[in-house]
Amino acid sequence: MSSEVKDGLKDERTVEDSRPSREGGDRAQYGMCAFLALLGTAVIVDALGIERVTNGTDPVGPRAVPLLLGALLLLLAVLYAVDVARGGRGEPEAGEDVDLSQGSDWRTVLLLIAVFVANALLIERLGWVISGGLLFWGTAFALGNRHYIRNLLISATLSLTTFYAFAIGLGVNLPAGVLQGIL
Amino acid sequence: MDNLNNLMQGFADVMDPMNLLLALIGVVIGTAVGVLPGIGPAMTVALLLPITYGMEPVQAFIMFAGIFYGGMYGGSTTSILLNTPGESSSVVTAIEGNRMAKAGRAAQALATAAIGSFVAGTIGTLLLVLLMPFVVDFAVSLGAPDYFALMLLAFIAVTSVLGSSRIRGLISLLLGLTIGVVGIDQSGQQRLTLGIPQLADGIDVVVVAVGIFAVGEALWVAAHLRRRPAEVIPVGRPWMGKKDWQRSWKPWLRGTAYGFPFGALPAGGAEIPTFMSYITEKRLSKHPEEFGKGAIEGVAGPEAANNASAAGTLVPMLALGLPTNATAAVMLAAFQSYGIQPGPLLLDREASLVWVLIASLFIGNLLLLLLNLPLAPAWAKLLQIPRPYLYAGILFFATMGAYAVNAQPLDLFILLSLGLLGFAMRRFGLPVLPLIVGVILGPRAELQGRRSLQLSGGELSGLLGGPVSYTVYTAIVLVLVWPLIRRFVVRPLRARSAA
Amino acid sequence: MTILVGYVPSPEGEAALRAGIDEARRRGEKLLVVNTTRGDAYVDPHFAQEPDLSHVREDLAALGVDFDLRQVLGARDAAEEIIDLAEKTEASLVVIGMRRRSAVGKLIMGSAAQQILLGVGCPVLAVKAGA
Repeated sequence: MSSEVKDGLKDERTVEDSRPSREGGDRAQYGMCAFLALLGTAVIVDALGIERVTNGTDPVGPRAVPLLLGALLLLLAVLYAVDVARGGRGEPEAGEDVDLSQGSDWRTVLLLIAVFVANALLIERLGWVISGGLLFWGTAFALGNRHYIRNLLISATLSLTTFYAFAIGLGVNLPAGVLQGIL
Repeated sequence: MDNLNNLMQGFADVMDPMNLLLALIGVVIGTAVGVLPGIGPAMTVALLLPITYGMEPVQAFIMFAGIFYGGMYGGSTTSILLNTPGESSSVVTAIEGNRMAKAGRAAQALATAAIGSFVAGTIGTLLLVLLMPFVVDFAVSLGAPDYFALMLLAFIAVTSVLGSSRIRGLISLLLGLTIGVVGIDQSGQQRLTLGIPQLADGIDVVVVAVGIFAVGEALWVAAHLRRRPAEVIPVGRPWMGKKDWQRSWKPWLRGTAYGFPFGALPAGGAEIPTFMSYITEKRLSKHPEEFGKGAIEGVAGPEAANNASAAGTLVPMLALGLPTNATAAVMLAAFQSYGIQPGPLLLDREASLVWVLIASLFIGNLLLLLLNLPLAPAWAKLLQIPRPYLYAGILFFATMGAYAVNAQPLDLFILLSLGLLGFAMRRFGLPVLPLIVGVILGPRAELQGRRSLQLSGGELSGLLGGPVSYTVYTAIVLVLVWPLIRRFVVRPLRARSAA
Repeated sequence: MTILVGYVPSPEGEAALRAGIDEARRRGEKLLVVNTTRGDAYVDPHFAQEPDLSHVREDLAALGVDFDLRQVLGARDAAEEIIDLAEKTEASLVVIGMRRRSAVGKLIMGSAAQQILLGVGCPVLAVKAGA
């Protein structure tokens, strides 16, 4: 009788059964290897461009450490690739708010990045009160909260209080932007 | 007795109403974010650091002391009520604590955790006071090669002891060391600055910590947002009966005895002592049958060990400038951002600051006990905050803090890049602590290494300074070969004895 | 025809459940008990845990009511979810529990009950705890 719970209701967000995590090699790790190799190469190239200044007081000079790090990065990229090829994989970090049974929600991540970049571009022009408020509102939206008006109030309160408390009260560097003179 | 006088002076400084208020704010914020899922004490200090730039260093550190212990306490509350430890050091507390809570003894579990934390924190801080002068005396006698060796040990320790995979730990460390290289080096040459003038001063450690801890975590959670509420156990006001006290006080003391030395060692940490405390209590208990079903000793001991270890980490942090856990690493970054260099000279140059910090640790610990026993049910309510607001708040404060460091939008793009790096590290199971330690210690290790070789005229033998560095290199070798020993000696032996 | 009950593990929710059971027996209709959560907080006191659910199930079975128990996890508000379900199941009656709330509290938080009253096509029975 009681066909409880497990109700799809057209909402793909209705999360129920935990799917078994993907078995076998985790090929995306090769991307990380490539990143390490690239970084190692970049570090070495940059180090080779540094002027060689060694003298009695500094026999090592500024090149040695980056060269060593670059070489180690390349070495680790290879070792990591070998480890991955042999089936090694790092456990993705679990957490209280993290549900690893589903795939990654790239839409949310991209939205968050967009909101973040918008704030970085606008912060000087519009000032912290407006751009920070937009940041909070946009982030809450990206994470699925749909109380637009309530969030607008919360965002405004938060950015105004932080501005008055920290920028004006404690002398923290926050731009006033277009609201210069009004706040 | 000189120390006691200094400590008394430290107390006198904290007893100012404004400072007490800051200590209270620190404790409240620390506990609140400790309770909130996804935010640890390290992230909290990192997020708050830029905000305190307008304060005197003394005031900032009074607040950080509160956050330091408050965050830890909040973490144990969540692990008892939800069985989802926020940090690896609370794993053991969660085992018995959550069982106790499920058996209707949440109040006692919370009480033994709170009082045990207080006892361990107080004893640990006292030990810190007693030990500091000796460690400083020892530290003053160390030369550049010894420091270089100690830092290498710290690198090896955070990569080998913590993570499950050494390769992944090393990758994280190297990424951190590479970030640390960015900027103008001691000989005046630009390294990895890509010709961007703002990078000449290097990437601020605060931006790195906020990017990796806060932005990385927010992005990671956003990609895997949990949609099902957890089962939470209702809390009453924590209290303990006479029998609970009798069963708790010895585990508290034993846990402290395990925790402090491990925290104080450069290769220590909180995982090993909490686990050892759990095993010991299980063995010594008069009620071994209760273990696994909610034994109070299994909460009291590990929780005390956890806090004592946290107090212990302050010894190498203050005396040698070596961080051994994430919170200590960020606190070290805090010292540096105030232009204060932790290490043997700290106690001479900034004596009043150090003693105020230690005095506020005592006071923060006491405030925590007074505040949290009655407030536990209120803290549990924080878990009802919707995640969109929680993570929007984290990103909001992360952005504000990172911008405030240098007031340049470029830092926000660096912050985002580091956040993406933090995301990737979480995705691929790379531990984040080695990266932070690498960023902080990397430049200093280079400095000490170059100084050692300068003394020897470039001969590599200059890195072998004296008995201390020999001992440290031996320790490094031991840490490195330990897994091999375990694989080829211990396991076969065990297998044989089992057969 | 179905009677839809918005169930929450609280005195109001229990009151709504009782009223729903009475109506279902009087009219001889099927009972649909719904518990929803947006699932966006770590802890949601309106989310019925397994012990609550099994007690509801046992009670209903003991009373011999023809019932269905659903739990909906999603990103939407309880009110939207219930309005949607009422339409889909062509419910003859929606039963909800109500709390007393000050005018200011309602202004800030809005009211799920109000949203349901306005949004549902069929009659709505609003019950208070202890009634």
